[in-house]
Amino acid sequence: MISPSAQENVTQLLLAGTPQPEQLAAIVYDELRAIARRYLERERAGHTLQATALVHEAYVRLVDETRVSWQNRAHFLGVAAQVMRRVLVDYARAHRSLKRGGTAETLVLEDQMELAGEESIDLVALDDALRDLAAIDPRQSQIVELRFFGGLTVAETAHVLDISPRTIKREWRVARAWLRREIFGEPHGACA
Amino acid sequence: MALAPEDWLRAKEIFVETADLPANERPTRLDQLCGCNETLRAEVESLLASDATSSGFMAVPAGKVPRRLLAGSEWEGHRLGAYEIAGELGRGGLGVVYLAERADEQFHKRVAIKLIKRGLDTDAIQQRFRREREILASLEHPNIARLLDAGTTQDGLSYFVMEYVQGEIITEYCATHQLDIQQRLTLFRTVCDAVSYAHTHLVIHRDLKPSNILVNANGEPKLLDFGIAKLLGDEAELRDQTVVEQRPLTPEYASPEQLHGGAITTASDVYALGVVLHELLTGEKPKRGAHGDFVRASAVAANSKSLRGDLDNIVAKALQEEPKRRYSSARQLADEIERYQRGLPVLARGDAFSYRAAKFIRRHRFAVAATLLVGLSLVAGLIATEREARLAQREKQRTQRVNSFLAETLADAAPALNRRLHHGQPNSLSEVLDSASKRLDGNEFANEPEVRADLERVIGGAYAADGKAARADQHLQRWIAMAERLYPANHPKRILAAADRAGMLFIQGKLTESEAAFRNVIPKLRAECVKNQVEPEDYAEALNNFAYLRRTQGDSAEAERLFRQSLSVKTVTQAPFHHQLATTRSTLALTLQDEGKFAEALSTAREAVREKEQLDSNADETAFALTVLGGLLTENGEYAAADAALRRAEGMLRDLVAPTSLWLGDNLRNQAASFYAQGRYEDALRTSREASTIYQQNFGSHYDNYPTALDIEGLSLARTGNVAEGEKLLRDALILRETTLPHEHFWVALAQGALGEFLTLQKRYGEAEPLLVASYEGLRHSQGADNPRTKLAEQRLVEFSNETGRAVVAGKLTNLGHH
Repeated sequence: MISPSAQENVTQLLLAGTPQPEQLAAIVYDELRAIARRYLERERAGHTLQATALVHEAYVRLVDETRVSWQNRAHFLGVAAQVMRRVLVDYARAHRSLKRGGTAETLVLEDQMELAGEESIDLVALDDALRDLAAIDPRQSQIVELRFFGGLTVAETAHVLDISPRTIKREWRVARAWLRREIFGEPHGACA
Repeated sequence: MALAPEDWLRAKEIFVETADLPANERPTRLDQLCGCNETLRAEVESLLASDATSSGFMAVPAGKVPRRLLAGSEWEGHRLGAYEIAGELGRGGLGVVYLAERADEQFHKRVAIKLIKRGLDTDAIQQRFRREREILASLEHPNIARLLDAGTTQDGLSYFVMEYVQGEIITEYCATHQLDIQQRLTLFRTVCDAVSYAHTHLVIHRDLKPSNILVNANGEPKLLDFGIAKLLGDEAELRDQTVVEQRPLTPEYASPEQLHGGAITTASDVYALGVVLHELLTGEKPKRGAHGDFVRASAVAANSKSLRGDLDNIVAKALQEEPKRRYSSARQLADEIERYQRGLPVLARGDAFSYRAAKFIRRHRFAVAATLLVGLSLVAGLIATEREARLAQREKQRTQRVNSFLAETLADAAPALNRRLHHGQPNSLSEVLDSASKRLDGNEFANEPEVRADLERVIGGAYAADGKAARADQHLQRWIAMAERLYPANHPKRILAAADRAGMLFIQGKLTESEAAFRNVIPKLRAECVKNQVEPEDYAEALNNFAYLRRTQGDSAEAERLFRQSLSVKTVTQAPFHHQLATTRSTLALTLQDEGKFAEALSTAREAVREKEQLDSNADETAFALTVLGGLLTENGEYAAADAALRRAEGMLRDLVAPTSLWLGDNLRNQAASFYAQGRYEDALRTSREASTIYQQNFGSHYDNYPTALDIEGLSLARTGNVAEGEKLLRDALILRETTLPHEHFWVALAQGALGEFLTLQKRYGEAEPLLVASYEGLRHSQGADNPRTKLAEQRLVEFSNETGRAVVAGKLTNLGHH
C-alpha cells in the first residue's frame, strides 16, 4: 500500500509552487517500481505491463487530485514524462546488459514493443545526448522529454510549458537535428 | 560543440530562418546572417545537414504519459460550437471544466468550457445551469470570470463557455510570490469587492474557496465558478426540489448553515471568505468545533503568528457560527480590513482590551510625527508587538510592563472613552492620559525606574499628540531627566532622550538651541540605528523634526536634504510605518516650494497624493497630502482644483479622532488663501480665523504657518470693513517673522507683501511702497522671477502703480513697464 506520507509529499511538492522536478520524479519513480514489483508478484511471471498504465497509477496514488490545480497537474505531466524517460531508458539499459548475459531486475514493458520508427533509436544513447542538450538548452530538452517520452502533441506541449506552439515546433526541429547529429554523427556531404 | 550561449541562440535563429530556404539561396543568406563568425556558421550548417536527414528520427514517441492528466476525457478533440476542446482543466461538483480554443484559428483565444457531468444531467440541474447562464451574463466585473457563451451538446448536455483564467490558486499565489500580510489583505479585499458586487446583483457564490480564486500574472484575482450561485430568494424552491443532498459544496469552506441545510444568505459567502482569509494569513484552514463552528486559532495553538489582535478578531467575526453575528456583507468585511490597514479601529474589537483607545494613541502618534511637533515615536512602538522579538529579553519584559500598564489604564477608561468616541467626542484621550499620569505619580514604579521612564515618554508623547503642550512638556522633561540619571552617557536611551530634548526646544521656540541639540544627536542616532539599538523610525522622525526646524529657520536647502534623508530611511525600512512616507513627501513638497522650485514642489505633492491613494493608509495622511497639494494649486491659480482637494481633505480631517489637529489648521489656512484669492473675503475670514485659533491653541505663535494665517485673516478683516483689527494682525505677523527669521527670508517678504497690500488698500501709499518693493525683491531673490509668489508680489506693485499713477521705484522694477 502506498504510504499516506508519500502522497502527502508529492501533493505538497506540487502545491509548494516551486516544485523540484527531480525530487518529484524520484518519488514517483520509486512508487512506480514498487507498483510494478507488486504486480509482478501477484501476476504470473512474464506478464507485461504498460508503462502508461504504471505512471498513471502512480499518479493516482501519489497525488491528491482534489487538491492540486490544473497548473500543478500540468507540472506533474512534466514529471511523468521524466519518469517515463527513466523507465524506458532503464529498460533499454537492462536489455543491453541482458544481451551481454547479465540479469537485471527491471520492469517488463509492453510499450517498447510498439516502438517503431523509420530509424530505430538507441534510447541509452539518446538519453546521454539529451543530457548534453539540457546543458546547452534546458527548454529544448524539456520539449523533447514531453514530446518523445511523454508522447504529447505540439499543442499539448505548448500548453504544458505555456509557450506558443510555433515556438515548440521550431525548438523541436532544432533539437531533433541536434540530437540526431550527436547520436549518428555528421552526415556526409554537408549542406550548402 | 562549445558554442557560447548567445551564439547558440543566434544559431537557432539562423537555423530556423534558413532551414526552409531552397538549397541555392541558402549560402547567400548564411553569408549575410553569420558574417564572419565561422564557428557559428559551421554549427548552423551541421544542424541543417542533420535536419535534412532526420525526417523519421523520433517521429514516433517512445512513451506516453497518462493522457487523463492533460485531458483524458471523451471530449478531447471534440467541438462544442465554435470551440475545440484541448484538455481538461478540472473537475468540480457539477461538471468537468475543459480548456478549449476557438476552432476557427482566426484569433488564438482560449476559453474554459464547463460541461455538465454525465449522470448528473437531470432536469433540475439543467434548469440551474440555464439560470446560471443568465446570472453570469449579468455579472460584469473585472475580478469575476466572464461568461462568454453557452449551449447544448448533441446529447443534450449543457455547457458554458467562460473566460479562461490563467493563474495560480490564491493561496499558492501568496506563497510563491511571498506576499506579506499587507499585500495579502489588499488582494483579499479585491476578492471581497468582487463577491460584494455579485451580492448586489443578488448572486451568492456558495462555493468560495481558494481553488475558485485564481490570481493572474498581473496579480489580479479572478473569481471562478459561480456554478452554484443562485438568485437570492428562491431558497425555498431549492429545498422543495429536495436537491439539498446533492448541493455541491466544499465542506471545509462551507458555513455551518450550509452544512446543516439552513438558509443560505450572503453571510454564507462571508463565512467562506473568512475561511479563505484565515488560510491566507496562517496557511491553515481554521479548526472547526463540534458544531461546525470555528475555534479560534489562538485557542488551538499559539503558533499562528500572523493571526492575533485585530486580524484574529476580524477572522473570528467572519467565522461566527450565527450568520447574524458575522459581517453583514462582503463589503463590510472589505471595509473592515481596510480600516485595519489604515490603523483605524475595527468593528470586531477584542473584548478585554480597550482597543479603540490603543488605536487612538497609535494614530495620534502619526499625527505627531507628521506635524513634526516632537520626535516621540515610542507610543506605537510600545504597543506594536511585532518588534518585541528584536529586543533583548530584559528590554522585552520592560516593554511588556509598559504595555500592560497602558492596557490597564486604557481598559479602566474604556467605557467612557468608547461612549465618547461613539458620540464624536474624541478628546477624551486626555482623560485616559490624566488617569495614567496620576497613576504614574504614585509609587507603583518605585522599583522599576526604567519602566517609569519609558512610560513618561509614552504619555508625554500622547499629550503632545493631543495638543496638550504643557502636560507633554512636564512628562517629557521627566523622561529626559530620568534617562539621564538611569543610563550611561552613550546609552541608546540617552540618545533618544537627547533627540526628544532637541524636539522640545523646537516646540518651545528655542530654535538656535534646538538646532545645536539636533546637530549633536543626529549622528549618534544614526550610529545607534545602524547597530539596531534605535528604531529606524526614531531616527527618521528626528531627521524629520530637524528638517522642519531648518525649514522654520529659513534654510530650505538643508531642510530639503534632511527630508530626503528621512524619506530614504523610511523607504528602506519596511512595512510598519511605510505609510508615513507620503507625509514626509508632502513636507518635502512644501520645502521645495520654499526654495522656489515650484514645478518640482507641485509634482512632489501630486506624487504624495497618488502614493496615498494607491497605498492603503491613514485617512489623515491622505488629507494632509491633499492639503499640501491644494495649497500649491491655489498658488498656481487653479482654484477649482485646489478647493476640491481642500474640501475633500477637510471632510476627512473633521472625521478624525483629533479634530484640533494642526493639519486641519493647515487645511483651513490653505482654503482661506484660495477664498481670498477668489475675492470670497467672508469665507476667507471664517476659515483663516479658525486656522489661527487652532495654531494658537495647539502650538503657539511660533508655529511656522501661524503668521501666514494671520496675514490672510488680517487682509480679510480689512476687506470686510474691520480695518484696525486687520492691521494689528498683519503687523503681528510681520513682527513674528522678523524676530525669528533673517531679514532676507521669504517668509518675511510674504508678510511684508501682505501688509503692503493692506496699506495700499488704505491709500497709505508712503508706507506701502517700501514694503511692496522689499517683498518683491525678497521673493524674486529667494524664489525666482517666475514663481507664483513673486508674481503675486509683482501684481501688488502693478496695482500700487495703477492706484497711485506713479511709475514705481525706478531702476529695480523695469520689467513692470509693460503692465
